[in-house]
Amino acid sequence: MTGPGDLPARPVRVMIVDDHPLWRDAVARDLGEAGLEVVGTAGNGLEALRRIPAARPDVVVVDLQMPQLAGVETARRVVTEFPGTRVLVLTASAERSDVLEAVKAGATGYLVKSASREELLDAVARTALGEAVFTPGLAGLVLGEFRRMAGDGDAGGGAPEVPRLTERETEILRLVAKGLTSRQIADRLVISHRTVQNHTQNVLGKLQLHNRVELARYAIEQGLDGAG
Amino acid sequence: MSAATGGPRAARAAVRLRDVGEAGLWRAVDVYRVFTLGYAFVLFVPVQDRYRHPAGAWAVLAAMTAWTLFVAVRRTRSPRMLWADLGVAVLAVLATDLVDSPARIAAGAATLPSMWTATPVISFAVARGWRHGLAAAVVISVTDVVEVAPHASSSTVDSVVQLVLIGTVVGWTAELYAAGRRRLARATAVEAAARERDRLAADIHDSVLQVLAYVQHRGTELGGEAAELGRLAGQQESRLRALVAARGPVAAGEADLCALLAEVEAPAVSVAVPAGTVMLPTRDAAAVVAAVRSALDNVARHAGDHARAWVLLEDEGDMVTITVRDDGAGIPAGRLEAAAAEGRLGVVAGVRGRVAGTGGSVTITSAPGEGTEVELRVPRRRAS
Repeated sequence: MTGPGDLPARPVRVMIVDDHPLWRDAVARDLGEAGLEVVGTAGNGLEALRRIPAARPDVVVVDLQMPQLAGVETARRVVTEFPGTRVLVLTASAERSDVLEAVKAGATGYLVKSASREELLDAVARTALGEAVFTPGLAGLVLGEFRRMAGDGDAGGGAPEVPRLTERETEILRLVAKGLTSRQIADRLVISHRTVQNHTQNVLGKLQLHNRVELARYAIEQGLDGAG
Repeated sequence: MSAATGGPRAARAAVRLRDVGEAGLWRAVDVYRVFTLGYAFVLFVPVQDRYRHPAGAWAVLAAMTAWTLFVAVRRTRSPRMLWADLGVAVLAVLATDLVDSPARIAAGAATLPSMWTATPVISFAVARGWRHGLAAAVVISVTDVVEVAPHASSSTVDSVVQLVLIGTVVGWTAELYAAGRRRLARATAVEAAARERDRLAADIHDSVLQVLAYVQHRGTELGGEAAELGRLAGQQESRLRALVAARGPVAAGEADLCALLAEVEAPAVSVAVPAGTVMLPTRDAAAVVAAVRSALDNVARHAGDHARAWVLLEDEGDMVTITVRDDGAGIPAGRLEAAAAEGRLGVVAGVRGRVAGTGGSVTITSAPGEGTEVELRVPRRRAS
């Protein structure tokens, strides 16, 4: 849960983006009842991008599979066009690769729709604070991704700046993937809860930075950087 | 060469015929038959006066023409037709002895059907591969030698070498072609199945899963009986989600451990795997999944009613690590060793026994109140 003194003075402003009206309403009601301010809903990514400037949400809750701008691209554009707005992915049955892409594109959290109301509220609150929200499933994906990148780097030898996890980060990610809460992880490793949070945030930061570098390099190679 | 007579052998031959029996290849064989028939006429007509029985030779050529037309029109390539084709060619060669003059034969003149006799060799090669092509070539060659006996000349040797080459090379090519076609058919089938599965998955995601997740969500909020309904909906939701996420086998002899482990996901069981696939030989993958299920069964039975479990799959290249952790009651120190000593092997045997065949190892760590962690480390072997 959120640490004492971390909560912003005003209620967290949330926008819900999902193409299922049933879900949009249920999530909006849950969040509203819990005292959060639902400042808007949208049925697809394009609609969300149009409404964000007026609604000014802190957190955008995004489904991954939507018509007209799916979740991955929506996440990417929200975090680049509206810095300071955070993206939490809430999805029913996503392809693992889509979840990973959404997180690389800038989403800071991921939750499945079968999660309980408490888990959802906790995830939204932590996302608003800029914390990374890792499910065990996401931790497994991220661990695998760093291993894959390291493997590619060793094999190719051509990619100099492949990001690597520190031993501590790997250790923490493995514990998250095995279902320990950050509190339990802090106890087991005899470090503070805050330190655990910092490590998980660093991991996401490395992944997202690497993704941006890769995209930029790709754009330059393809002559799409707009400078020429 | 053995005759394909009745029983499973004939069935196998028929299957192989169908496998390779591509219409285009057979048309080429027919064209070859017609051209070599024309060549036989070209060779014969200018020298027909030197034959012992020109009329008889014309009769043999007429029979060859009739057979050529019959095969071209009939178009079925049953094993019986193959043998009949070979028989006709043998007869045509032997007939040369009856109609041509001994002097010409002794001088090494071409047989009456000449290159036409290579047709059954090609047919056998196309239908059944290089071994049968070679065998048919041997049959025709022996006939050639019998026909010229005792005057085998260099041209006899030439034609024997040519027939053997034709039989083996065409047969070899046909086998490669058939294998390619089978691979293509398999790949097409796999792709079609994957596409259909993706379509179903998208559909299920957009409809059933959303509603099930919603029922679970609202049911839990409402409490009481609705909560029980919500719990049931949740179980079906995660089962369906795992099913939709699962993928079929990618390569023969290998299975994707990610897809297999996704199927053990349940409301109380979380599964964490890398994106992409983790391929293991099918038998090793099955052993790992059985071991994981065994560990999860143990959690359900002994760890307490509210225990949850987490499965983590890590791909370390030459090694695959699978961890099953629960937050249940845990096992008091010494209990596992005591159980083993008493011959009650329980969880240890259940998990170890299943992993033993993979060359992997099992580590179990537990403490009262802190749950149990079962770690399987399995070496990655090539599919055999």
